[in-house]
Amino acid sequence: MQDNGHSPYTPIPMHVLHAYYESTDHSLKTVELSFDHAADSQAFFEAFNPGQFCLLSVAGKGESALGVASAAWEGNFVRFTAQKMGSVTTALHGLKAGDAIGMRGPLGNGFPLQDWKGKNLVIIGGGCAFSTLYALTKHIHHESHRDDYGKLTLVYGTRTSGLCMYKHDIAAWHENEDMEIHQAIDVPEDDWLHHVGYVPDVVRQVAPSPVNAVAVVCGPPIMTKFTLPALVELGFAPENIFTSLEKRMKCGIGKCGRCNLGPKYICKDGPVFSLAELNALPADL
Amino acid sequence: MPDLDAIKTEVRRLLADGVVEVVVAFKPGDTPLHPQPAFFHSPEEVDSLVHNGLCQNNLATFLTHLPKTKKVGMVVRGCENRSVNALIVEKQKSRENLYLLGVPCEGIIDWRKIVEHVGEAVLAVHENSDEVTVETREGQFNLSRNELLHASCLRCAHRNPISADILIGEPLPEGDPNLARVAVEEFESLTNEERYAWFQKEAERCIRCYACREACPMCYCTECFVDHIEPRWTESGATPAGMQGWHIVRAFHQTGRCTDCGACERACPMDIKMTYLTEKLNNDMRKKYAFEVGLDIQTQPPFATVTLDDKNRFSV
Amino acid sequence: MNLILEKHALPDLLQSWRGNYDVYLPQKMERFSHFMPLTDNSVLVTHEPHNTRISPKALFLPMTEALVKFTRFGGYEDAQQVIQPRIIFAIRPCDAQAVQLLDTSFIQEAYTDPLWLERREKTITVGLGCHEPCQTGFCTTVGYGPFNKADLDVLLTDMGDAYLVETLSKAGEDCFQGLPCASDEFVEQALIVQRNAHDQMPVAFETENLKEKLEQNFNSDYWETVSQSCLGCGVCTFLCPTCFCFDIVDETQRRERVRNWDTCMFRTYSLEASGHNPRPSKVERTRQRLSHKFVYWLDQVNQIGCTGCGRCVRYCPVGLDIRAMLRQAQTLPFEVSHAG
Ligand SMILES: Cc1cc2nc3c(=O)[nH]c(=O)nc-3n(C[C@H](O)[C@H](O)[C@H](O)COP(=O)(O)OP(=O)(O)OC[C@H]3O[C@@H](n4cnc5c(N)ncnc54)[C@H](O)[C@@H]3O)c2cc1C
Ligand code: SF4
Ligand code: SF4
Ligand code: SF4
Ligand code: SF4
Ligand code: SF4
Ligand code: FES
Repeated sequence: MQDNGHSPYTPIPMHVLHAYYESTDHSLKTVELSFDHAADSQAFFEAFNPGQFCLLSVAGKGESALGVASAAWEGNFVRFTAQKMGSVTTALHGLKAGDAIGMRGPLGNGFPLQDWKGKNLVIIGGGCAFSTLYALTKHIHHESHRDDYGKLTLVYGTRTSGLCMYKHDIAAWHENEDMEIHQAIDVPEDDWLHHVGYVPDVVRQVAPSPVNAVAVVCGPPIMTKFTLPALVELGFAPENIFTSLEKRMKCGIGKCGRCNLGPKYICKDGPVFSLAELNALPADL
Repeated sequence: MPDLDAIKTEVRRLLADGVVEVVVAFKPGDTPLHPQPAFFHSPEEVDSLVHNGLCQNNLATFLTHLPKTKKVGMVVRGCENRSVNALIVEKQKSRENLYLLGVPCEGIIDWRKIVEHVGEAVLAVHENSDEVTVETREGQFNLSRNELLHASCLRCAHRNPISADILIGEPLPEGDPNLARVAVEEFESLTNEERYAWFQKEAERCIRCYACREACPMCYCTECFVDHIEPRWTESGATPAGMQGWHIVRAFHQTGRCTDCGACERACPMDIKMTYLTEKLNNDMRKKYAFEVGLDIQTQPPFATVTLDDKNRFSV
Repeated sequence: MNLILEKHALPDLLQSWRGNYDVYLPQKMERFSHFMPLTDNSVLVTHEPHNTRISPKALFLPMTEALVKFTRFGGYEDAQQVIQPRIIFAIRPCDAQAVQLLDTSFIQEAYTDPLWLERREKTITVGLGCHEPCQTGFCTTVGYGPFNKADLDVLLTDMGDAYLVETLSKAGEDCFQGLPCASDEFVEQALIVQRNAHDQMPVAFETENLKEKLEQNFNSDYWETVSQSCLGCGVCTFLCPTCFCFDIVDETQRRERVRNWDTCMFRTYSLEASGHNPRPSKVERTRQRLSHKFVYWLDQVNQIGCTGCGRCVRYCPVGLDIRAMLRQAQTLPFEVSHAG
């Protein structure tokens, strides 16, 4: 979280650098935001860790929690991809380059990258929740971090090929020797060269080895629900399976009470939890 | 006073014979001051059923909590019966899925008035038509029933359930319909400034807990106007504009639908008067449209009907 | 320090504080008492049911307040609040205890709520113990008590014509400067009053293993049974001194982002944009309310999150009584956990 001498409820000023549709059906839009003040940018990147989120603020509409979809090395900006849902996300879809916007963050814990060093990573994503996994993959894939981790396996499913995000990078990753990537869509399409089927089934089929590995799953609740047991079946210990949770949020800093899961606040203590941690928490999602 | 044994016998019969799946009535609370609405599913549970002057809720509220097709029995007083009728008119329940046990009502006692008189340490309450006897640790107190009655009940003109399947107990003499006007006329006789000051004083104590809404049988919208985000109809907070907006629009949404049961006022933790607003609208309904809610299960409230010869056509 | 304050000297003392502080004390509002600022003709109201209808948490977390202002050019700035130093007089121990509990949420290493913090730092709390404990309250049951000192700068004991004044902090001491010291005998008598009050309160429900029972019966029918008549209103939580949930809403016309009290008992509270609601009915909402107070608070700070003030019991419009709900929870099956 930025410490700019302001209240933690007050957004910092940002401007839209780029805004573009991420999916062919225009349900997903990506915005890249730059900082108005260098001090804010410095504070942001000092604290930032992939897996964290921010609250994007549109005055008069409210705030929405969005996962950060960029890695720090990419430059002095922060990327988000928003699915059009209600008032704030609709306003976000209306943004164009040069528009002002407020932001609070980075918020939450992010992925425990320190603990993952030296391990093989299995990254499993579905739908628009893939955004933070994209940030994670970009972070790890960078030459200055790549050697810290072992084998990298990526499973990414979307309902249709048109909903696949970050196509440019994904296409490049298919060419990459250094990474095993499995893409899937739910129903067959012409010219589709990859898997067809639901993510949990693809995971079973790909059967990543649990040896010295951690798996991280982010997707729609239904996908997560069925992928977690698939990983357990494959031999992953609950301590080595991670997921990012979502609940309605307001304050983002553990004050408003809204996002609790038992004694934990998803905004402050999460959003990333291991399956072992989740198993000890009430099923209140 | 209602014959509790007769009520229980009938409730047991309804459940035993499978006439209904559940009966909504009251059971004792942890203290005699607060009987609780309760759902009886089997004849054995019925032993604990109570029905007395401290049963302060309008049970018709729970009708929309239950599945529409469920066969429901309900112990109803005059106002509750009319609220049930109003809900049937609004297609929230069909009459076939209902069995109403009517109990003539001698008015609801305001527990807060008891506490004001004798404190909180109430051990037991006995009542008859004239007197309420309260036993506390300090002794026994006899209070006049009329003084303890809730304002709505003092002006009630429909003490007898009007369309119950069975009436338990003898019908009571009906209240004077002119009494309902007294409260309204008192308010109407004030100057504009005085009326606004009254309204402000009441509305601005509001904490927006929406107990009034939840206690009201007619407030069953899944999305209340105050919860609507876009557009926002009124300020969200406990600001004068927000609270006044809530109070005025809530009242308007009751036009021709409110039975003046007073459940909203009794639920309010801030002792806010609000039936003066709904009664004003009820009075206008009576005067201008000769309409009173809940007297049958067909007639739509005037503001829910549009006819070709309407004097004021909505122009869009 | 133990001092004596004669009751007839109280009005002058209160007035003497006015020069330096905003003074709040329970005064009559309609048929109940409410913390309001001291004026020339304020009258202290402490009778039965002796606590204020709205808890003094409202003096720290107002029902509505601005958090952020929108500036002209699409920017944001902190909403400014002018908070004067103040004294809250005759706050009851249960409510002071609640403020201490709320501190653990609002003042944390990672994030501190600046508005809460400022109000806390500028407030002196003068507690009034309950020599005649209220009937509905159950502070002793939850481990607190009618003369609990948590979070007080001063504790008063009503001794008939006078109060015993126990100062518990420097700031509290300063407010009562110049009063005569209480004799040992007087203090002794006050302690008896305090003990009697404590002993006179019945055990409303057992707390032993209550946490484990609620926790382990998360999916039990119990929740359905105890929530059946719940209306899903805000009474129990808005009146509760330890409930702190708030909503954040943009008030476009005021050009402000405000926070309003909110509650897990409202159906919109956890409703997500997709239409999914993790707590779709009163069953899950009631479970959240009780679990928060009797499970999660314990996990977080090892304290029960209910101070036994009795407000929810008194004012629930359908007579749902948390004491009875918890007595019923005590009959639930559970296994002793051997962890830790
Ligand atoms: C940690 C986290 C990360 C997220 N990351 C992304 C992302 O990368 N991309 C994406 O498209 N969506 C993401 N979401 C979901 C996104 O926050 C909601 O879809 C969005 O807030 C809906 O707001 P709205 O104003 O458009 O909808 P409305 O229905 O108008 O919502 C009104 C308000 O409710 C709250 N709200 C409603 N639903 C949610 C929800 N599911 N989660 C949090 N708050 C909610 C918000 O405060 C919002 O302002 C994330 C949610 C969380 C909790
Ligand atoms: S508005 Fe009040 S008096 Fe009218 S029906 Fe509803 S609860 Fe009863
Ligand atoms: S019950 Fe009373 S305080 Fe609550 S919203 Fe209604 S009027 Fe306001
Ligand atoms: S006050 Fe009573 S009815 Fe209202 S939410 Fe609480 S328990 Fe339910
Ligand atoms: S839960 Fe009830 S008794 Fe406990 S502190 Fe809150 S309002 Fe008081
Ligand atoms: S009980 Fe409910 S309203 Fe109260 S603090 Fe907990 S979550 Fe918030
Ligand atoms: S969003 Fe406020 S506590 Fe998590």
